[in-house]
This record gives sequence, C-alpha cells and structure tokens, in this order.
Amino acid sequence: MKPSAKLAALGRMAWQLPSPRGLLPLVAALVLWQVLQTGNSPYFPPPSAWWNGLVQIAAAGKLLAACIATLKTIVAGLALAILAGIVLGVLIGTSSRAARALGPLLEFCRAMPPPAIVPLAILFLGYDERMKLTIVALSAMWPILLNTSSAIQHIHPLLLDVSTSFHLSPFDRIRLIIVPSVVPAILLGVRIALPLTIVLTLLVEILTSIEGVGALMITAQRNFQSGQVYGLLVLVGLFGFVINNAFSIVQAVILRRWPPRSVQA
Amino acid sequence: MDSRRTTASVNWPGLSVFALVLAAWEAAVRSGTIAFEFLPAPSAILAGAVELARDGILLRDLLHTLLSIAIGWTIAMIVGVVVGLLLGFSPLARRYGLASIEVLRPMPGIAFAPLGLLLFGFSLQTELVVTVLPTVWPVMINTMGGIANAPPRLTDVGRTFRLGSYEIVRYLLLPSALPSIIVGARISLGLALVMAIVAEIVGNPEGLGYGIVREQQALHPEFMFAYIAVVGLLGVILNAGVLAITKALWPWTAPRQPA
Repeated sequence: MKPSAKLAALGRMAWQLPSPRGLLPLVAALVLWQVLQTGNSPYFPPPSAWWNGLVQIAAAGKLLAACIATLKTIVAGLALAILAGIVLGVLIGTSSRAARALGPLLEFCRAMPPPAIVPLAILFLGYDERMKLTIVALSAMWPILLNTSSAIQHIHPLLLDVSTSFHLSPFDRIRLIIVPSVVPAILLGVRIALPLTIVLTLLVEILTSIEGVGALMITAQRNFQSGQVYGLLVLVGLFGFVINNAFSIVQAVILRRWPPRSVQA
Repeated sequence: MDSRRTTASVNWPGLSVFALVLAAWEAAVRSGTIAFEFLPAPSAILAGAVELARDGILLRDLLHTLLSIAIGWTIAMIVGVVVGLLLGFSPLARRYGLASIEVLRPMPGIAFAPLGLLLFGFSLQTELVVTVLPTVWPVMINTMGGIANAPPRLTDVGRTFRLGSYEIVRYLLLPSALPSIIVGARISLGLALVMAIVAEIVGNPEGLGYGIVREQQALHPEFMFAYIAVVGLLGVILNAGVLAITKALWPWTAPRQPA
C-alpha cells in the first residue's frame, strides 16, 4: 500500500472502535480468574484484590498526585518532542544536502534504543523533573523528526513548480503546499512516538523513584503488594488506552482539515 | 552487486559529518572547552571499550542481550503469526477478539517489569516477560492486516483457476500478506532490543542494559559510554541485517529506498 493510502486508511479508521462484543474473552478471563482464585495468592491475586490495592493507594492520598505527575510528563515531553521534531525536521528536510550529510548521524541516534540514554541523563542531570522531561522529549523526537524531513523531501516537484508559476508568496507556499503535504507524516511520527513517551516516563519513574505511577509500581513490587502491582498494571493499561484513543480523535480531526495527498513523488 | 555501485552509494558527506562531530567532541574535551565531570572524550570511550572487550565482559554482556532478544523475538513471532493468521482468516475470531486485543495492546511493556519481578525475581524470565509481551502486537496486527486486507480479487482468481482453499491460502493469500508480516517482524525486532535493554536496566542484572547502569553507578563514564555505543551499533546492525536478509529471501518485499 502506498504510504498516502495507508494514511488515508488511518484517518478513516481512527474513530472506528471494534465491536464491544470483542471484549467478551477478556471479561470472561477476568471473571474466571476471580471465581477460581479463592485463596489469597501472593502471585496471582484475584481482580477484586487489584481493586482493593488501588483503593489502598488512593486512601493513602498518593494515587491522584502520581497520575497527574505522570500525565504531565507525558504531555509536556510529547509537546517538546513535537516542537523540536518539526523544527529540526523542516530544517533538515528542506536541504537535501543537509539531509544526506546528517543521515548517518541521525540514523545512529534513531537506532539507539532510548532507554540506553536514561542512565546517561541521570548521571548528567541528576534526579529531577527536568531530567525526566529531557529524556522523554529527546527520545520521542526522532520518529517525528525523520517523518517530517522525509515528507518534505518527498513533496512532488510538480507541486513546487505550481507554486513558482503561480508566484505564490513564501507564506502561501508554506500554507498551501508544504503544510498539507507534511501534516499527515507528522501525525504518523507522533503516533509512533506516543507509546515511547509512556514507556520512558514509566522507566524513569521506576529507576529513580521520582513521583509518578512508575514509582508506585516499583514500591508495590518491593513491598510484595501483589494486589497493588496488578491494580497499577491495569491503571497503566488504561492510561495507554485513553491516550492512544484521544490521539486518534485528534488525528482524525486534523486529517479532515488536511487530508493526505495521493500525489506521489 | 558490483563493487562500483557499492562505492558510489557510500554516503561520504554523511560519514565525514559523523567523524567531524566526534573530532569536535574530542577537541572540546581535551582543550577543556566543555569540562563536564562525567564527559569522557571519544578516544577515552574507545579505550574503555577495548578494555571491556579484553576483559571478555563486553562479549559476555553482548551475548546475553542477543540471546534474550533472540528468544523473546522468536516467541513473539510464533505467537503473533499464529494468532494473527487466526484473526486474519476468521471474521468470527476478529469479531470476538479484536476489541480485547485493542484494549491490551496499548499497555506499555515496561509496566510488566514490576509484575515480572514479582513473579520471577531478577531473572531471565522477567526479561522475557518484558520483552515478549509488547513485541507480540506488531507481528500479530500486521499478519492479521496482511491477510484480512488482501484484495478480494485474489480469491476470485484462485476460484477461477479452480484452486482448492489450501492452494489459495498457500499460493495467493500468504504471499500477498508476506510484506506486511515482514514489516511487523522488523518493528518487533527493534522493539525487542529496546525492551531487552529496559528489562536489563530494571529487571535482570545482566547484559548490555545492566552494563550501562552498572558503570553509571560505579561512576565510570567511559565504560558507560562504551556500552551505550555498543547498544546503538547493535540497533543499526540488527535493522540492517533484517533488511538485507529479507531482501535476499524475498526481494519484492523490500521497502523502496528513499530517493
């Protein structure tokens, strides 16, 4: 499938959730688990114990603050990554010479698994909020940067010729030619970066015990509070689910305004 | 491939920029222009890598990481392809399974680290839990998509040629899904590396990921950077390796090189 066709399909699919009937196996598994697990197993506590675990943490007044801290890092880190990714991506994409010259360097940075830089950032920046943000933004930036620059490079030359022959002003050229060609690719980059920001935020929190859901998880594990471990796991899953679907809605809205072009270079 | 074309395709400006950045870094550290306490010069990092390699510890860590990636990725591929085929061929399975998968899929893999630690302690099993669970999805979804989105005309063509169901699947549907499955496999392999490093950082004190943390805590930045560089190289090599292998085996599935 052509990339543009894939993007168009993404835009159409964004709001279509699969039928709720499909949740049956999951619900059945959870119910079975609850019914069959009668003892208080230290390893496989029943779902009711998960709920109790979460209630415990909430009663201690830690749950809400941790959720807010984690969400804040994810959103702020992603925002920084989008900004940096677009600016650098546009700069690199507009010059094919720069793209070629920086290619291997960028390739190396992209191939570097982001978690590997976490210890590095801890060493240089210490244990604080700033370090958390830096790591998340730095790692989430690459897919956005690379998608943006490659989209700019692949704008059909004909489109650029059109803008020249119509004597478009630089502003109109950006508004009418460049932005519509690049927006779908940027969205695709953000879609790739999204799960990465969640993973990295949690990783940093687990490693450094900076306030957040990750810190709660690792504390629960260290205290062998298995109910809390499972409860928090479900909570984090919910996080991922909500953030992903919220982005799908944003994506669908934006793609309606700037539908993917079918013109191919 | 003839050698003339390979030399022509070497990206000299790119490589020289790479070298230039390293040289500038070296010069800046040596001259004291940037004097972070923990920033070693590239030459010191290289020396650190050589020392680690001579100790044999680097090789041992590398082999451990490669092994867990290989095991984790293989399990993920088997589960992903089998379930993906089931979902792709059976609309019933899609109707009664897809939503469950869509709920589980966005679960960040790292979240399973505390669970793995709870169940298995600091061990290879924990590493595999963290590596396998998130890497299953790309293969599964791409396998399903490749089968379910095959052009309906393919089946019609098969029927016209009076092929049986088995032959339609074997000679028409599977080959048409192959590129999509391979893309899934590549995404999964990259993810397996990332998750193996994550698992070694938090869950299993072995391998390259643990090496980075170990040297960070021991305040040996040159060893830490050496480990990071090895991890980065591993990423580049794995990606290039899979591309080369798939290109050799199934040339038509290779992604077009960007111009």
